[in-house]
Amino acid sequence: MIQYGAFLPELFLVITAILVLIVELFQAPGSERKIIRWIAALGTLGALWSASCMGGVCGLSCCPAPVEPLQAFAGFIKADGIAVFFKEIILLATLLTLLISFRYFKARPTPYPSEFLALLLFSAAGASALTSAQEIVTLYIALETLTISSYLLASFMKKDRGSNEAGMKYLLLGAFSSAVLLFGFSYLYGLTGTTVISEMGKALAAQPSSPLLVFAVILVIAGLAFKISLAPFHMWTPDVYEGAPTPVTAFLSVASKTAGFAAFVRIFWVGLAVPTVQPVWLGLFSVLAAMSIILGNLEAIPQSNLKRLMAYSSIAQAGYISTGFLAGDRLGMTAVLFYLFVYLFANLGVFLAIVIVSARTGSEQIEDYAGMWKRSPLIGITLLVCLLSLAGVPPFAGFSGKWYLFSAAISHGYTWLALLGMVFSVVSLYYYLQVSRQCLISDAKDPSSIEVSLLEKIVLVCCIALTVTFGFWPTPLIKAAETAASSLF
Amino acid sequence: MVPVLATILVPFAAAFGLFHSPAQGPNLLPILTCFIVVPVLAAVLIMAAPERYTRWISLVAASLELGIAFKVFCLYDKAAAGFQLTEEVPWLGNLGINYLLGVDGMSVLMVVLVACVYFAGSLISWNVTMRKKEYYVLFSLLVGGVAGAYESLDLFFFFLFYETAVLPMYLLVGIWGSGRKEYAAMKLTLMLLAGSAFMLVGFIAMYFTSGVHTFDIRVLGDLAKTGFDPGFQKLWFPLLFLGFGTISAVFPFHTWSPDGYGSAPTAASMLHAGVLKSLGGYSIIRVALPAFPIGAKYWLPLLVILALINMLYAALVALKQKDFKYVIAYSSVSHCGAILFGICTLQVAGLNGAVIQTLSHGIVAAMTFALVGTVYGKAHTRELSKLGGLSACMPVLGGLFVCAAMANVGLPGLSGFVGEFLIFLGAYKSGFHGGFTIFQVLFPIAILAIVLTAIYYLRLVQIVFYGPLKDPHFKEEVKDGSFIEILPIAFLLVVSLAVGLYPKPFVDMSNTAIAPLVERIGGFK
Repeated sequence: MIQYGAFLPELFLVITAILVLIVELFQAPGSERKIIRWIAALGTLGALWSASCMGGVCGLSCCPAPVEPLQAFAGFIKADGIAVFFKEIILLATLLTLLISFRYFKARPTPYPSEFLALLLFSAAGASALTSAQEIVTLYIALETLTISSYLLASFMKKDRGSNEAGMKYLLLGAFSSAVLLFGFSYLYGLTGTTVISEMGKALAAQPSSPLLVFAVILVIAGLAFKISLAPFHMWTPDVYEGAPTPVTAFLSVASKTAGFAAFVRIFWVGLAVPTVQPVWLGLFSVLAAMSIILGNLEAIPQSNLKRLMAYSSIAQAGYISTGFLAGDRLGMTAVLFYLFVYLFANLGVFLAIVIVSARTGSEQIEDYAGMWKRSPLIGITLLVCLLSLAGVPPFAGFSGKWYLFSAAISHGYTWLALLGMVFSVVSLYYYLQVSRQCLISDAKDPSSIEVSLLEKIVLVCCIALTVTFGFWPTPLIKAAETAASSLF
Repeated sequence: MVPVLATILVPFAAAFGLFHSPAQGPNLLPILTCFIVVPVLAAVLIMAAPERYTRWISLVAASLELGIAFKVFCLYDKAAAGFQLTEEVPWLGNLGINYLLGVDGMSVLMVVLVACVYFAGSLISWNVTMRKKEYYVLFSLLVGGVAGAYESLDLFFFFLFYETAVLPMYLLVGIWGSGRKEYAAMKLTLMLLAGSAFMLVGFIAMYFTSGVHTFDIRVLGDLAKTGFDPGFQKLWFPLLFLGFGTISAVFPFHTWSPDGYGSAPTAASMLHAGVLKSLGGYSIIRVALPAFPIGAKYWLPLLVILALINMLYAALVALKQKDFKYVIAYSSVSHCGAILFGICTLQVAGLNGAVIQTLSHGIVAAMTFALVGTVYGKAHTRELSKLGGLSACMPVLGGLFVCAAMANVGLPGLSGFVGEFLIFLGAYKSGFHGGFTIFQVLFPIAILAIVLTAIYYLRLVQIVFYGPLKDPHFKEEVKDGSFIEILPIAFLLVVSLAVGLYPKPFVDMSNTAIAPLVERIGGFK
C-alpha cells in the first residue's frame, strides 16, 4: 500500500496548482482574479501543515507524528526528519514568495496570474519532492521539475528585457549543468549498479577508489554547485537575480538553494561518504566554499543595484552554509538547517522590502532607498535587521547561525575556513551597511511616505521578531534542527 | 531642578532598596540581569512613548542603573572573592553555551563605571533635538550591550553583547555625528568587527581544544595550569589580542578611535571612550591572561613595545592637533596604552593599576568628552585657532575643564593618579626573565608620556580657556553651563575625586580578582 502521507505536501502543491489553473478559466477576463491567489496561499499552507505533521511540529492530536518516517514507491521517497525540515523551509519560502508576488503584480499587472502561481507551486513541489528522494533518478526528476519551472518563472515578464535575458541565461546554463549532473549520475550508476543512494554507499565502500569515481564526483559537484550558486559555478546568479521578477529571485535565493543543499547532503553524506572518495570531495568542496565566500563578498561591494547585491550576497551565504555541510556530523547538519531557516526569514524580509519600495519608486538602486527612516521606518528597520543578520552581526539570528556553522567547521579542523568566513563577514558588513546607511542616515530626495499593507506589516514584523529572537534565544529552533539532523547522522 | 533631582533620586533609592544580599534568600529579580534589561527596556519604552517623555524615561533608567550598580558594589563580598551573584540558565546544551552572568571584583568596578557613564551621558544628551527618540533608543541599547559584556561569564554571550554594543555606535556616529561622520562610523564599525572576527574563531578554537567543551570563562581560566598546550597558546594569544587590542585602540589598530570619537555625538563618545573601549583591557585580563598565560608571556615583549608606542605616539599626536575633540580622542588612546602597560607588568600592583586606570580613564574621558561637547554646543566650533579665553564667559565650565585636565594628567587627589601610580609601581617591581629588567629600562620612557600629557592638556587649557577672548561675539552669545549641563560633569568629577582621595575600597575590590589571577599565572618568575 502506498503511504500517501509520504508525499502529501507535494500532492497538496500539485493539486493546488492545477486547481488554480482551472479556477482561472471561470474568472472574468481582466478582473482582479483575487480568488486564485488565496487558493494558492491556502494550498501552500496545507502543504506546510502536512509537512509539519510529518515532523511532529504541528502537535495537534489529529495527526500524531509518525513513529517511522513515511515512505512510498519502494522507499524511493522517504520523508525522514531532515527531509521534513528542508520541506518546511521550502514551503515557508514559497508562502512568503506568494505574498511578495501579490505586491509585485499589483504594481506590474500581468495577464497570466494563474500561470505564475501554478509554476511557482510546481517548482515548490519539485523542490519539496527533492528533499525526500532516496534515489538518484527520482532526485533528478524532482530537481528538473524545480528548475524547468524556474526557467519559465525567471523569464515571466515577457516585455521586460532583463527578465528575458535572465530566463535565457538561466535556461542555457541550467540545462548544461543538469546535463553534467546527469552524466555524473550515469557514472555512479555504472560503478555501483544501483540508483538507490544508500545502496550506492554500500557498493562503493566495497570497491577501491578509481579515477572514474573521482570523475563522477567532480561532475556531480559541478552540476549541483550550479544550483546553489557556489563559485566558480555562480556566473549566472547576478544576471538572473537582477533580471528575474523579484518574487522569483526571492524564491530562487531561498527555496532553490535549500533544495540544492538537500540534494548535496543526501548524495554526498549518504551515498559517497566512503573513505576512498570522501577526502576528494571534501577537499573540493572546501575550496568551492572558500571561493564563494571570497568572490561573493568581494564582488558584492561595488554593486549599486540591491537585487544584484543580494545575488552576490547569496553566493557568499552558500559558501558559509557549505562550511557546516563540510563537517558532516550532527552538529554541522544542525548548523546548516538552523542557518537555512534564519537565512529564509532574513532574505525574504529583504525581498519583501525591495518589492514594496520598488512598487512605489520603480527602482531597485540602493541610492533610491535614501531616507527610508522617514518614508517608511518599518522598511528601514527590516532592511537593517535582515541585512545585519545576513552579515552575522549579533544580536541577530545570523550570528548564532554562523557561530554554529563555524563551530562545526572548526571541530573538523577547518579553522582556516572559519577564519576566512569571519573575516569576509566583516567585508560583507561593509556593503550591507551601505544599504542601511542610505536607509537610516541619508535624507530622501523624495520624502513622500511609502504605504505598507497590514498583511505586509505583519510579515515584516514577524521577520524582524524571528530574526531577533533566534539571535538571543535560538534554543528551540536548534533543538528542532538537531532532532531533524539526527535522522541522518 | 527639583523634578530632575527627584527623577534621579527616587529610582536610585528604589533600585538600591529593591535588592538584598543573596545570603538573605533569593532576590525578587535577578540583579545582574536587571542591569542589562533596564536600558533595553528603556529603549523599548522610549520607542513606544511620546517624544516628550523620551529623556525622562532615559533618566529614570539611568538612575535605576546607578542604584543597581551601587548595590552590586555593596553586595559583593570582598572577603569571599571569586565570582558572585552568579545567574545561570542553560541555553544551548549541545554546544555548552549557558546564559551565565556573574561579577568578580574587577567587573564590579566596571559595572559601576557603566552606570556612572550611562547616567552622565543620559543627562548630557538632554538637549538633543534631532531624531531624539531614535537617539535615545540607540544610546540605551549601547549601554545594554556593554553592561552585558562586562557581566557575562560565557564567551558566547560576551561576544554577543559586545557586538550588540558596536552596532548602535555605527548609527549614533553616522546620524548624529559631525565632520566626516559616515566615514568615521564605517571605519569604526569595520575595524572593531574585524578584530572581533579573530576573537570569535579563537573562542571556538578554545572550546574544542580545551577538551571540556564549555564556553564558561571560569572553567577555561582554571585550565591555565594544565589546559592548553604551549603551542596552541602561542598561536592563539596574538589572535585574541588582535580582537581585544582593537577594542582598546592599541597601536597600530587605533586609527578608528580618533576619527570615531572626533565625529561621534557627545554621549556616544563618552560611552565608547569610557566604557566600550575599556572592554579591551578588561577582556585581556578576564580571558586572555588566565587561559593563555604561556602565550601571554611569550608575546609580552611585543605587547610592552606596543603599549609604549601607544602612550608616546598618541601623546605626541595629541600635541599637534588643531581640533579640540581630537586632542581628547588621542589622549584617550594614550591612556589606554598605560592600561596595557600595566597589564604587561603581570604584577599585582601593575594589574590593579590597570584596573583602576580603566575605571579612572572611563570616568575622566567621559567627563572630558562631556565638557568638549558642551563647549562645542555653545561656541559652535572646535577649532583651537578660533577658540580662546572662554573662561571669561563660562567660568564654571572652564574650572571643570581644568579639573578634568588635571585628572587626565594624574594629579594626586584625582582618580588618574591612583591608577598610574600603581601601574608604575608594578612596572618598577617587575623583572623580566630574571636578571634583565626591561621595565626598569622602559620606565623613564613611560613616565615621559605623563609629561607629554601634562604638556598638551595645559596647552589646551591655555588656548581654549585662558588668554583674551578670541572672538568678541563669544561675549554676548556664549553662556556658562546650565544646571542640567553642569550636573553630569560635576557628578563624574565627584566620582573621580572619590576614587582619588580614598582609593582603598576600589583597589581592594580590584585586588580580589587580581591577586588570585597573578598567583595562578605566576607573574614573571
